[in-house]
Amino acid sequence: MNLLTKTIDGCYNIFRGLFTVFKHIARNPITSAYPDVVPELYPQTRHRLALTVNPDTGEHLCIACKQCERICPDTCITVIGDPEKKGTIKDFYLDHGLCMFCGLCTEVCPTNCIINTVDFEMSEYTREDLIYDIDRLTLTQEQSRFYFDFKEMPKPRPKPEKKPAPVQTQTEAPKPQPAASARGGEKKS
Amino acid sequence: MSIVKDIGHTEKAFKTDEMIINMGPQHPSTHGVLRLILTLNGEIVKNCEPVIGYLHRGMEWLGQNRTYVQYQALVDRVDYLAGMSDSHAYIMAVEKIAGIQVPLRAEYIRVICTELNRIISHLLWLGIFMLDLGAMFGFPFYTFRDRETILSFLEEVSGQRMMFNYIRIGGVFKDLPKGWTKKVKKWLTTEFVNYIDEYEAIATKNPIFLVRTQGIGYLDPKLALNRGVTGPSLRASGINIDLRKYKPYSVYDKLNFNIPTSTVGDTNARYQCRIQELRETAKLVVEAIDKLPGGDTEDLEKNRAELTSGENPTYKAEDLMFIAKGKNVPMGFKCGPGEAYAAVESPRGQLGVHLIADGTSVPYRIKWRSPSYNNTSILPDLIKGHPVSDVVAIFSSLDVILPDVDR
Ligand code: SF4
Ligand code: SF4
Repeated sequence: MNLLTKTIDGCYNIFRGLFTVFKHIARNPITSAYPDVVPELYPQTRHRLALTVNPDTGEHLCIACKQCERICPDTCITVIGDPEKKGTIKDFYLDHGLCMFCGLCTEVCPTNCIINTVDFEMSEYTREDLIYDIDRLTLTQEQSRFYFDFKEMPKPRPKPEKKPAPVQTQTEAPKPQPAASARGGEKKS
Repeated sequence: MSIVKDIGHTEKAFKTDEMIINMGPQHPSTHGVLRLILTLNGEIVKNCEPVIGYLHRGMEWLGQNRTYVQYQALVDRVDYLAGMSDSHAYIMAVEKIAGIQVPLRAEYIRVICTELNRIISHLLWLGIFMLDLGAMFGFPFYTFRDRETILSFLEEVSGQRMMFNYIRIGGVFKDLPKGWTKKVKKWLTTEFVNYIDEYEAIATKNPIFLVRTQGIGYLDPKLALNRGVTGPSLRASGINIDLRKYKPYSVYDKLNFNIPTSTVGDTNARYQCRIQELRETAKLVVEAIDKLPGGDTEDLEKNRAELTSGENPTYKAEDLMFIAKGKNVPMGFKCGPGEAYAAVESPRGQLGVHLIADGTSVPYRIKWRSPSYNNTSILPDLIKGHPVSDVVAIFSSLDVILPDVDR
């Protein structure tokens, strides 16, 4: 008797499980058809890093402050500022092979220059190819505009900065020309 | 006559040598890289010696060479299936030393995300457990389907699927996205509950599953306590210790939830405990979303004036922030000198961080108390005397994850 109830119970439960499984035959597949269908990504998604330019004027946003270089836990960023002109970037190396996409550098950047893009397809044949230089990192104006909108970042305000900027360059511009050798003394004055 | 007697006792009749077999480290069902040196007598395991350390990454040492802020990006890797719990423990320890008051809203967001992470971890465990028991045909796909949904929820919040780096010193990285709370609540209350029923319909009463799990790997509560086993494995043995109730941290004391326990202590009981915990956790997330100070993110600005003004405001203005004032720029954080231990209930048990700060921006010493390490120590006692086929079932039922063991 015990065996009988056990058998009936067991059969019932096996068929209940099988029925649950068979219910799934007719439904659509749940796996994403990745290469054909690009997955939906979110503004916060952290993938390949890139440098933005000002979406309106096209000038590079990096001011070579090296904040990103200092906070990076994996020391994968190298910022080389322009020695001629303070506050402009000469070269920028980012080793994506070391990067763990933590996003800390994007948070400390004062100008929203370095950002995480939604591009995750970045396989290369050699490790050296993963070291991006400034040309590969910098986005075009269109792309920058897209990311500034997508991530709802405050747009860089060029006008209040720019108006004093030409004044400074105008006053400073004549100086280096006559006294290019006396650069050290110039900075102090 | 004597021959017949001896056949009854096969061990005596056919004198067998003990055989030593290495299981792992590259074994698909060792949940990482664990090596078990099994001493077998025929089919029966006579002795078992776990060898750990293959996944050691020096998480403690890495922390002592990085600033507090830099290290917070790494702690998700301690137990990569429950990254939120890891961050929560570490950040709680830092906050204890620095004396930072976390806004109430941030605490609720932390609880919501950590509990969603618990569901992810249990779902992965469930799929893998079934796979280890031999349910090769499709069962993991059911749990991975739902895990995928929650992973995309958490990706929307934090930016990545597993290495969240979301819980920050003083709060969380960003407020919840607009419309997120409603979406999560709807999914948990309408769909996820049915999905758990589906798992149970397939597995819980299946006679093959019962034979594989009932009475297998009995964990003695006394032994479990002595070895420091925590989490659902301990609660399945009848000892109801859950840090969320036992020593409430964060805002768990303001939430109502049950801790599923069982007194049986075998593999099946551990399975039951975790399945019940899935249901409880789903309810807990819904409750936390309901109680979230300030409500949904899209209504927050609307509610803010109403909730914080008036004679008896429901909340203070700083309660509704997602990160404490002046803490969202992570440069130059310093704390200490001081010493703190913070523990959270991770999906696997009690996860603790002991932190010593010396006043610089770099931690002086970090020690992780990981639940999986203690839970692995019980393994030889559980599988002694069981056939080889049960080794994987018992090991799997403890929900040990190797990066957490080796750190
Ligand atoms: S994402 Fe993290 S690891 Fe990568 S460059 Fe930025 S700070 Fe460094
Ligand atoms: S933090 Fe931003 S502005 Fe500063 S060096 Fe890095 S990318 Fe340039």
